[in-house]
Amino acid sequence: MEIDPVTNGNTDTVMAEPAPAIAPSRPVPSSRSSQLTESIKLEHQLLRVPFEHYKKTIRANHRSLEKEVSSVVSSVGDLADNDWSKDVAVSRLTSLVSRLQGLKRKLEEGSNVENLQAQRCRARIDHLDSADVENITEWNNTKLKRILVDYMLRMSYFETASKLSESSNISDLVDIDIFREAKKVIDALKRREVASALAWCADNKTRLKKSKSKLEFQLRLQEFIELVRADSYKQAILYARKHLTPWGATHMNELQHVLATLAFKSTTECPKYKALFEPQQWDVLVHQFKQEFCKLYGMTMEPLLNIYLQAGLTALKTPYSFEEGCTKEDPLSQESFRKLALPLPYSKQEHSKLVCYISKELMDTENPPQVLPNGYVYSTKALKEMADKNKGEIKCPRTGFVCNHTDLVKAYIS
Amino acid sequence: MDPIATVKDGFNQVAKRQKHYHSISQAVTDRAFEGFVESLVQILTKNDPKTVLTELKLKLDSLLPINHLQESQKETNTSLTKFEKVLGKSDVFPASISIDLDHQLVDKMLVEYLYRQGLFEVGELLIKEAEVEVDDQLSEVIARSLEIHRVTEPLKEKDTEPAMRWISENSEKLKEEASKLELELVSLKYWEILRQRKRPEALRFARAYFPKFASLHSVKIRKLIVALLWVRDLENYPHAEELFPLGWEEASRELTKLYYNLHDQPSSSLLAVALSAGVESLPRLLKLIRVMGLKEEEWGEMKELPVDLELGDEFRFHSVFVCPVSREQSDVYNPPMMMPCRHVLCKETILRLCLCCSTRRFKCPYCPAYTTASACRQLYI
Repeated sequence: MEIDPVTNGNTDTVMAEPAPAIAPSRPVPSSRSSQLTESIKLEHQLLRVPFEHYKKTIRANHRSLEKEVSSVVSSVGDLADNDWSKDVAVSRLTSLVSRLQGLKRKLEEGSNVENLQAQRCRARIDHLDSADVENITEWNNTKLKRILVDYMLRMSYFETASKLSESSNISDLVDIDIFREAKKVIDALKRREVASALAWCADNKTRLKKSKSKLEFQLRLQEFIELVRADSYKQAILYARKHLTPWGATHMNELQHVLATLAFKSTTECPKYKALFEPQQWDVLVHQFKQEFCKLYGMTMEPLLNIYLQAGLTALKTPYSFEEGCTKEDPLSQESFRKLALPLPYSKQEHSKLVCYISKELMDTENPPQVLPNGYVYSTKALKEMADKNKGEIKCPRTGFVCNHTDLVKAYIS
Repeated sequence: MDPIATVKDGFNQVAKRQKHYHSISQAVTDRAFEGFVESLVQILTKNDPKTVLTELKLKLDSLLPINHLQESQKETNTSLTKFEKVLGKSDVFPASISIDLDHQLVDKMLVEYLYRQGLFEVGELLIKEAEVEVDDQLSEVIARSLEIHRVTEPLKEKDTEPAMRWISENSEKLKEEASKLELELVSLKYWEILRQRKRPEALRFARAYFPKFASLHSVKIRKLIVALLWVRDLENYPHAEELFPLGWEEASRELTKLYYNLHDQPSSSLLAVALSAGVESLPRLLKLIRVMGLKEEEWGEMKELPVDLELGDEFRFHSVFVCPVSREQSDVYNPPMMMPCRHVLCKETILRLCLCCSTRRFKCPYCPAYTTASACRQLYI
């Protein structure tokens, strides 16, 4: 095949352009698609929280409209069936008219609230969509900040979390409010007050019912026990009649067990009932609330940081990380990281990856490893640089062994 | 099918249905309002409330069509449930060991991260809120980050003075990488002066700073000087991009790295490195746990993961040789050995191939060459 020397330059440039265009475009769609699927699964929390709020608003608006409409209909029916004097009819009809006006206003307000919430959901979906090959470092940076804000919120460092999310412009992507809400309830529970917890249960009744949650029942039981502890038996019995009987159908055994505390004093030594009077019961309640809360919003019980950190540490954990001369760049060279990584498994390497001691670069097909006569291995580029500076002389940096550039041998490591 | 598109579709459906519901309810309310007002007017003008009201009651069904509303509500609800299914269940995260991470350690790492990122206020807030104990190590980290910030922050305003000063102060320790960076900063600053069309100042700057680079980087210096003639048309100066391989941001980052290397510190926050490694490896780890059917704590009890998590090369800090035959990582007791044909296997594989007899000939698994165990050389990677 003859290559025309005159057009050689042209064909070169023509060939050079399509090649880079083809190469990246083929792998990108498949990796992006799988990355996105993983993204959605892992970012469940991100999308779920605003969606739960949106759903709740929609359903509440549906309900209130239904109620209003049916009450208006029945009022009209009531009006029409009876004989009213003109004045009464006029006044009643006018009040119905103003009710309709109020309804219209409420609908508009409800619609506005819904739109804001829908916008929030959309903003987050768009954020997930925006992860592209070009801005992947920035996107990952944002993800890192999100993980950190999540950790701070769970540890209740609210000021730090707000400041961080403000300065990094991720306020749309984090849910500071619901964590504040949760903290209020948890603090109240720690003070042995069930009121806010019960309010939260009432607020999310349908959802809790769907997941068959026992939280409200447990809260009521605890209140009952507190009444018994304070020796106000009559009140306790009234309370039980009012609040505990509806749960009797499903949780009879537990109900009976707790009701029996009426027969015991709070200082009882009988182990079965002593346990019910323990202050640790409150801690159990706090834990249960946290569980229900996290389940409702599709969140993990542990901070995201714990999960990602553990995954990262185990992926980075190699026997070399614990050696003396370990590079400072490896997180596992530091004592605190080593402590955290202690119970985790080591990572497995399936392919050789050699890092040049001199240049700290990877030795791959473009920069293959070369072997000195004493068995030490360095990258071709680093050795060539050294030879160029020292008139062909190579000195092994780890042993001091000296040889010539021509004594080097290329190794084949797959 | 692009999963994000599915999510978007599902959500759009919900929004659409809800909008439909709203338009229906608005129309209905308006119509009912009109109808009621009409009846009211009729009662006021005529005198018989009962007939008007009975008429109204009969008309009510068409004025307030509850069926329509309910239907629309149902449609919205269906789309809500569908969307929830698209989002999927939230049980994807079993990858947590029950042992609590010592949050004091984590808080310290977090403070370090914040200071390195230049988020000093947030760092201070964290120290206060989390009651972080600021020991010697942490205060050193804080001091260092403040120092380097004083040098790199002016670079955002294209002020290279502090950076140049710092480089010259530490020139003997920094050697070559510093001089490349110095050249880059000097070129960038010069270009900036040129962009502002201050030719005499540029010339003065050049006279002051270019000479020391003249011998090693003469071509570049020449190009920069010639740019003086292009002052009015700087964007069209040929090959301008080649003069600045790094650019302001990258140069600032390189300077930071240099600084930390000089003080024998890691060049970026270790927490960030570990978390980025986690972000990259978590999907595979979760898949592994799922495929192995492990429960929450069980994955942590393994001594070694059975599968490679395939971290990117930027997380490769140590040389690892894995024998291509036995797939075992080499260590002190099982080092890599190079055969005369230049292929490398681990010692145990070679012993197995020659049946532990150092004079017995065996064939290299990768090429037709025969060799003996004694002819193999140990490699030190």
